[in-house]
Amino acid sequence: MFKKILIANRGEIACRVIKTARKMGIQTVAVYSEADKDALHVDLADEAVCIGPAASKESYLVMDKIIAACKETGAEAVHPGYGFLSENQEFSRRLEEEGIKFIGPKHYSVGKMGDKIESKKLAIEAKVNTIPGYNDAIDSPEHAVEIAKGIGYPVMIKASAGGGGKGLRVAFNDKEAYEGFASCKNEAKNAFGDDRVFIEKFVLEPRHIEIQVLGDSHGNYVYLNERECSIQRRHQKVIEEAPSPFIDPETRKAMGEQAVALARAVNYESAGTVEFVVGADKSFYFLEMNTRLQVEHPVTELITGLDLVEQMIRVAAGEKLSITQADVGINGWAMECRINAEDPFRGFLPSTGRLVKFQPPAEIPGQVRVDTGVYDGGEISMFYDSMIAKLIVHGATREQAIARMRDALNAFVIRGISSNIPFQAALMQHSRFQSGNFNTGFIAEEYPKGFDASMVPHDDPALLVSVAAYVYRSYTDRAASVTGQLEGHERIVDDKWMVVRVNGEHKENHPVVARPVPGGYHIEYNGENYEIQSDWRLGESLFRGTCNGEEFTLQVERHKTKYSLFHWGTRADFMVMSARAAELLALMPEKPAPDLSKFLLSPMPGLLREVSVAVGQEVKAGEKLAVIEAMKMENILKADQDCKVKKIAAAAGESLSVDQVIIEFE
Amino acid sequence: MHDIIRQLEEKRQLACLGGGQKRIDSQHKKGKLTARERIELLLDPDSFEEWDMFKEHRCTDFGMDQAEKIPGDGVVTGYGTINGRLVFVFSQDFTVFGGSLSETHAEKICKIMDHAMKVGAPVIGLNDSGGARIQEGVASLGGYADVFQRNVMASGVIPQISMIMGPCAGGAVYSPSMTDFIFMVKDSSYMFVTGPEVVKTVTHEDVTAEELGGAVTHTSKSGVADLAFENDVEALAMLRRFMNFLPANNHEKPPFQPTNDPAGREDFSLDTLVPDNANKPYDMKELLIKVVDDNDFFEIQPDYAKNIIIGFGRMDGHPVGIVANQPLVLAGCLDIKSSIKAARFVRFCDAFNIPVVTFVDVPGFMPGTTQEYGGIIKHGAKLLYAYAECTVPKVTVITRKAYGGAYDVMSSKHLRGDVNLAWPSAEIAVMGPKGAVEIIFREEKNDPAKLAQREAEYKEKFANPFVAGARGFIDDVVMPHATRKRICRSLAMLRDKNLENPWRKHGNIPL
Repeated sequence: MFKKILIANRGEIACRVIKTARKMGIQTVAVYSEADKDALHVDLADEAVCIGPAASKESYLVMDKIIAACKETGAEAVHPGYGFLSENQEFSRRLEEEGIKFIGPKHYSVGKMGDKIESKKLAIEAKVNTIPGYNDAIDSPEHAVEIAKGIGYPVMIKASAGGGGKGLRVAFNDKEAYEGFASCKNEAKNAFGDDRVFIEKFVLEPRHIEIQVLGDSHGNYVYLNERECSIQRRHQKVIEEAPSPFIDPETRKAMGEQAVALARAVNYESAGTVEFVVGADKSFYFLEMNTRLQVEHPVTELITGLDLVEQMIRVAAGEKLSITQADVGINGWAMECRINAEDPFRGFLPSTGRLVKFQPPAEIPGQVRVDTGVYDGGEISMFYDSMIAKLIVHGATREQAIARMRDALNAFVIRGISSNIPFQAALMQHSRFQSGNFNTGFIAEEYPKGFDASMVPHDDPALLVSVAAYVYRSYTDRAASVTGQLEGHERIVDDKWMVVRVNGEHKENHPVVARPVPGGYHIEYNGENYEIQSDWRLGESLFRGTCNGEEFTLQVERHKTKYSLFHWGTRADFMVMSARAAELLALMPEKPAPDLSKFLLSPMPGLLREVSVAVGQEVKAGEKLAVIEAMKMENILKADQDCKVKKIAAAAGESLSVDQVIIEFE
Repeated sequence: MHDIIRQLEEKRQLACLGGGQKRIDSQHKKGKLTARERIELLLDPDSFEEWDMFKEHRCTDFGMDQAEKIPGDGVVTGYGTINGRLVFVFSQDFTVFGGSLSETHAEKICKIMDHAMKVGAPVIGLNDSGGARIQEGVASLGGYADVFQRNVMASGVIPQISMIMGPCAGGAVYSPSMTDFIFMVKDSSYMFVTGPEVVKTVTHEDVTAEELGGAVTHTSKSGVADLAFENDVEALAMLRRFMNFLPANNHEKPPFQPTNDPAGREDFSLDTLVPDNANKPYDMKELLIKVVDDNDFFEIQPDYAKNIIIGFGRMDGHPVGIVANQPLVLAGCLDIKSSIKAARFVRFCDAFNIPVVTFVDVPGFMPGTTQEYGGIIKHGAKLLYAYAECTVPKVTVITRKAYGGAYDVMSSKHLRGDVNLAWPSAEIAVMGPKGAVEIIFREEKNDPAKLAQREAEYKEKFANPFVAGARGFIDDVVMPHATRKRICRSLAMLRDKNLENPWRKHGNIPL
């Protein structure tokens, strides 16, 4: 076994590999860019080598620097993680030349699978299902119908030069194939000046399901079941689970055996993934093979009990697989949410900056696992991927896994940057997701216009009202304990309160009675009793407690007199006051939110470098308005529409906060 | 006897209606509460003791003798409690003669102010007044001056708070302006010496009342007001919160509020707060929020002179005044506005026995003609003066830069700082390394390589807390995560600090 390995990666995957190496008694070497010098993986590793500036192409992607780091530290092998150099055959070849082991497949396997056309050929040879199609020119509609019949309906008729949906037809029968061919050809000619079309099997309601395989250098192979990765947003996986709610044992076996056949065909030695597209009729077709460890590998680990990184290291060290196919089972259900630094309410724009708070849910062996590369007080830089953590849960059933994931998401505290946690929480409670009836089009179909707060209804508003009463009553009792009170006229805190839920301009009054009881408060609301016990302390974000004995976790933030509660992806704003105060509050005018289209707001905190327009100037859409420098990057703000500058509200050189007004338009 | 009781009931009812239902409705329509509704929200339930409900004006000119006499004469006065603690209150009633100040109206205010002084309790004014009762002429002006004089006598003896909840114009502005804090309500309150019409005739400027003297103007542009609130309800709820930080008078320690936030709570995220690059800003507020009890930091003047942060918090249950440079704005430098803002705050804390905790990251005073012509010398001196005369416990934490004269100013050891701590990232020096070597090694200015080497040498020598530590200018170097613990302990040690300045009529702070 190796004594020391180098991890040619960063972030959560580098940390994850280090953990396994440590468990195996192997020393670890981290490499890092200048932007990552305080990163978690550097801290966790036994040694660390700086390999250059922040930009990946000057650091994490430079083979020479990584090889030099191996030599400098005496690392015998390199684990590449995913991304970066993980599927670069030249890298693994160079390492081999230098006598350093690559913890991954051999370069020839990578090479063969890296090429789309060759991999498909290999797959066909290995008797792996591939999407049936006809790639040569088709000359007549009759010919098209004949081919379509051969493939089996539905088929997709596609322009060779096509793209963006143009020159694309789906045909479910001969007639449609006949007509589709003609119109597709025409359209292709007009749009691209190239009327060549081809025909391919159209997979209805496609799901993305992949098979994890493992091979050693002694010709042994196993498949470790499938992962369901159909929940994708713009081709980026969002949630992965194992097993798939869709696959039956026969299909699993067929897919697994084909995946192993393909791995065998390229003498695959390591962990790898064979991706399939699976149709509504459970027909499956090979897409490609990923010759590396996948982001979502933990779900496989949780249902099989295997440590894939350990397996990769053992295989690379020449060991034989210690398991056979018969040893591989499915234990319960595992699910992974990718936690990304992005703002789901602002079109999923990446969010960077300081992690003012980063408190992931507590890990519970066999139930909750958190793979992360960041820490409380760390920095999310703009140079790398926006994924900052993976939250992985395990349950006996899919329902239990979902329930655990929802609880874990409630307890995940991230402040300072935005995260997609509300979106993940919304997906977790979506009935279609829960039913398992979805395909790769799920997010696009269910959230066609993006995501907003109204899409996460809360099914237990009474809990929120009760907690708001609890939080306010705790504060009030604290304030009423102040010294210096008039003797005999001390403050007696009333038990009757009005919880006012604020939803934009809409206010809802919920009268409650909140009495202190040992360890918490007893709240009467709507004729029901809620006894909430908690050791929550004023000012803490995380609120853990029990309501009538049932555990719950949510998050609380106060802004002036308003409390925001975050639970199951919902944010609910409350004010708590006496009934009389609520009556008077109702007299207060609702101030209309300013029409923001009349303003240029700073999209981020930064320094205003220049204002490029003057008062009274007519500006055309797309013209430069101002330049903001943030994180050493110049950001040019352009006009969304034609407009006239009314007022310039910020001066060059000024520090801007997010949403600060820079220019006002007429 | 029955007759008297019946009359009393009638008079009470009449007084409570102020200027009548119509005017009350109109007040509500403007988004404002009535004088009595405001008191109801401000004070503990049923704690208000009203005085002079039956007081009436004595004016007979300009038809005032014919006009209806409304008991109370446009201001509701009395005392009550906020969290059981005594406060005196006056609340002007805009529904009665537009809340205008008559001689009797002023007398009512003076009466509660005198009592507040006698017993040592804060005075809270809820201002909503059209100005002087013009019909009364000089009698009304006299009334203003009587209040002004009392404001001055009470200054530094009892806390005086003004909440501007409607118009406050002309001479009327000068009473609030002499109180300790001015809070305003957005869109329904304004303060100015002369209104938009006069401004238009005199300077030909077109300006609305809101732009000229609204809450946003005074809390972001002029610095006259300390906080702006969305509406009356929020304003009064926040005022209740605020009052819990203040002692009743200058002989009292500020009020203790038990906490279950451990004094020894460590926060390791603070260890990475200060970036390695000395030119990269960070948000000082994060530190303030993370070190105070319950993460409850009550900021004052958040939108004015943002390069310095002031506000109240509690440490170990005891109130502290916090002053901190904000590297996020203008690199946290001291300029005219920030010096004045912090100086006044430090003097308030000193007057009312509230310990001052100062967080320092200051690159120096702001250079430039605007600053020099504006009198940065004199205004900067205010902060220096305030810290130097201050005798309450003073704990200082240098987080990063403490350069030049600004280092001296920011509650340094030399200005009787009691406990001066530094983070490992602290750099206490005359100026930044680059500037320093360019001066010391002026003759090498054309040799960048040499200069860079000098800069490295300078950094090595001064860009750390040890030089100052060797001289005892700082008492210890503390890890950021332990900041709360160390401050709490220092303050506990200083709780019975006894220090007095020499007797004098008063010092001569550079005004």
